[in-house]
Amino acid sequence: MDTQALWLTLRLALSSTAVLLLIALPVAWWIASGTGAARALVQAVVALPLVLPPTVLGFYLLVALGPLTAPGRLIIRLLGHPLAFSFSGLVVGSVLYSLPFAVQPLVAGFRAVDAALLEVAATLGASPLRAFRTIALPLAKPSLVTAAVLTFTHTVGEFGVVLMIGGNIPGATQTLSIVLYDQVQDFNYAAANRTAALLLAFSLVTLLLIYWRRSVDARSLLA
Amino acid sequence: MRGPCLPENLQSEQLAAAAAQPVETHVSVQLRHRIGTLEIDVDFKLTRPWTILFGPSGSGKTTILRAIAGLLRPDQGRIVVTMPIPMHEQPLALVDTDAGVFVPAHQRRIRLAPQQPCLFPHMKVLENIWYGAPIALNRHSEPRGIDGMPGVLEDFDLAHASGSLPHRLSGGEAQRVNLARAVAATGSRLLLFDEPFTGMDARRRDRLLPLLQEKLAKRCTPVLSVTHDVAEAFQLGAEVIELADGRVIDQGPVEVVLAEERRRLLGQLGNPTSQNRDVGHPI
Repeated sequence: MDTQALWLTLRLALSSTAVLLLIALPVAWWIASGTGAARALVQAVVALPLVLPPTVLGFYLLVALGPLTAPGRLIIRLLGHPLAFSFSGLVVGSVLYSLPFAVQPLVAGFRAVDAALLEVAATLGASPLRAFRTIALPLAKPSLVTAAVLTFTHTVGEFGVVLMIGGNIPGATQTLSIVLYDQVQDFNYAAANRTAALLLAFSLVTLLLIYWRRSVDARSLLA
Repeated sequence: MRGPCLPENLQSEQLAAAAAQPVETHVSVQLRHRIGTLEIDVDFKLTRPWTILFGPSGSGKTTILRAIAGLLRPDQGRIVVTMPIPMHEQPLALVDTDAGVFVPAHQRRIRLAPQQPCLFPHMKVLENIWYGAPIALNRHSEPRGIDGMPGVLEDFDLAHASGSLPHRLSGGEAQRVNLARAVAATGSRLLLFDEPFTGMDARRRDRLLPLLQEKLAKRCTPVLSVTHDVAEAFQLGAEVIELADGRVIDQGPVEVVLAEERRRLLGQLGNPTSQNRDVGHPI
């Protein structure tokens, strides 16, 4: 078992999830709190990674973060090295790639919060921020958990983007899914089987936790 | 019967001034708003401690409350609040469409108890009631009662349910939490009740209504409540603004404005002192 790759994968998934939730919360709240062309556009852009081949996303990121573009050159000057082929570059890629998995559950969760509750909170003197913190966020908590778990698992399982912008550098950008690819290329099926089984079990268990939690929530509401 | 109007937290010289000059909060409302097929066009002043908006369903009562609370932007209108002198507040425009003024709901200090009890489902009864009184940060103590004293839970007969979540409450209890939450909010300029006693049994209403009326008047917080219950209007002895099809058709003391309604109702009840033959209900 490649513990270095396993550790790197978990670290990547954790960092991406943390960054994503920070970005996704305000974006989802904004999308859920109204209608209009601007919101439709943002939703479409956020949903792009769902339909785009990961290699397309990875290719554009590779170009954008490299020395060919102005932002890329700026990043290189600030960091002293290109973002591509580094762990931070992987985080950037994962964040974009998993964006819909964080934003969409949150939008659904926020939309399900009764607007009348927020109105009453306002008449009781709650600023929009306080109403968000004390009413919308606690009521959308199940969606927040779903978003976090989906983001985490999705990042663990990502392959195309990581390969495009991370390369395959052990200890820096080599995640479990890429290790699996290498093992298959080397005809090392026994090792590949262990890696694949681990990824499968991990995904199944986390999804099981989500659905089990949901059924518990539903039951506690009926009680 | 009603004591001088004494706002909270006054200095002693201000107290004296307030006692000498029991000025109420005045609210002037001028609104024009189209909602569906209903064209609302009203112009009235609230000058009494308790005013009732009376009228049939669909006459625009709830829309008017929402506009005053700041939950709705009127097509055209002006809402101005004038507070009692000791509070040192200039007349304040909450809405003035001509001047482009629109104070957001959370800055108006106008509390609305909606018709459907709209309780925060994840908060216990006490936390719900607390929500508009965040200044008193000690969450373990009880919210200050309707006249600035402990006792809101007792006043609304909710002490037994203070730790319950809203989905465990009966309809009547939820209605009382809904009201208590608006009443317990601190620093209120005006309370708006949308059919506050609907679904409450008569005996409880008879106990709560005078209590609320007295304590709120003492606290100097005026009330505008919506009802189509004639008995409730008479019980309050309030000023009545009668609405029909989005217009004010009458404003004045309840005995005058609703005299006809009262006669009709008494006729239906078969009261011997009423002229039920005139109303056409031979009982």
